[in-house]
Amino acid sequence: MKWMATCKETTERASRAMDERLPIGDRVAMRLHLAICTNCRHFTQQLQDMRRLFRTETTANDEMSGLPPEARRRIATELQNKLAP
Amino acid sequence: MNTLDAHRWLADHGDYLFRVARRQLHSDALAEDAVQETLLAALTAQARYAGDASPRTWLTGILKHKIVDLIRRQLREVEIPRDADGEEAVDSLFKQDGHWAEPLRPWGNPQTEAELSQLRRVLGECAERLKPVMAQVFSLREVAGMETEEICKELAITPTNCWVMLHRARLFMRQCLELNGFGKAGAA
Repeated sequence: MKWMATCKETTERASRAMDERLPIGDRVAMRLHLAICTNCRHFTQQLQDMRRLFRTETTANDEMSGLPPEARRRIATELQNKLAP
Repeated sequence: MNTLDAHRWLADHGDYLFRVARRQLHSDALAEDAVQETLLAALTAQARYAGDASPRTWLTGILKHKIVDLIRRQLREVEIPRDADGEEAVDSLFKQDGHWAEPLRPWGNPQTEAELSQLRRVLGECAERLKPVMAQVFSLREVAGMETEEICKELAITPTNCWVMLHRARLFMRQCLELNGFGKAGAA
């Protein structure tokens, strides 16, 4: 048993911690590593930065584009067919 | 009630549903399919629409299931990259002993509208470069905010598989953002 987790293992735990509560052993191993590793501290911060960016990313830049007219016509026809075959 | 409503939904919410779907499916064609299937399903289910949610909320709820269905279908067709390129890409980030190959720098906090819009563009481009199915699973989690457990269950993949895909997608996206200049400005 190694006494200290590697960066690679720590990134796996940090990523998983974004999705679920880690088991206590993993949590401790991750915190111990983070206490001494600047790179991994930056990494965990970046995971959170990315999430924030994705979730707050407004649709501003694709606000311009919507359902293409051709698709809209096709869907309208499908709806029509469904009710009046 | 019926076709009139459905055509109205298409007119009023078609663009919105399309944009929501495209952000998660990363494909115009699939997003069009998702909108079509949503409206057809809504037509069938409209008797059950109690009217206590706004039509948009109700339709978006149906859309979410259609998006998951489309991703699940793709998962069946496409072999999930297990080890091949994913593993290599991950390994290249670390040295043999499991430490970072390159030092990491903290990212600055993009503030101005110009920085943010540049970043949105890069985010989109990076997501395009992920394997489609990986980008889709990643978006269900990070964009749509679905719980991982729900994602695995809906897509019928094992939690391990799901989690490996998410982890690789995150490593890739982080790397891609940096390669495209994100974070450099903060360090300069």
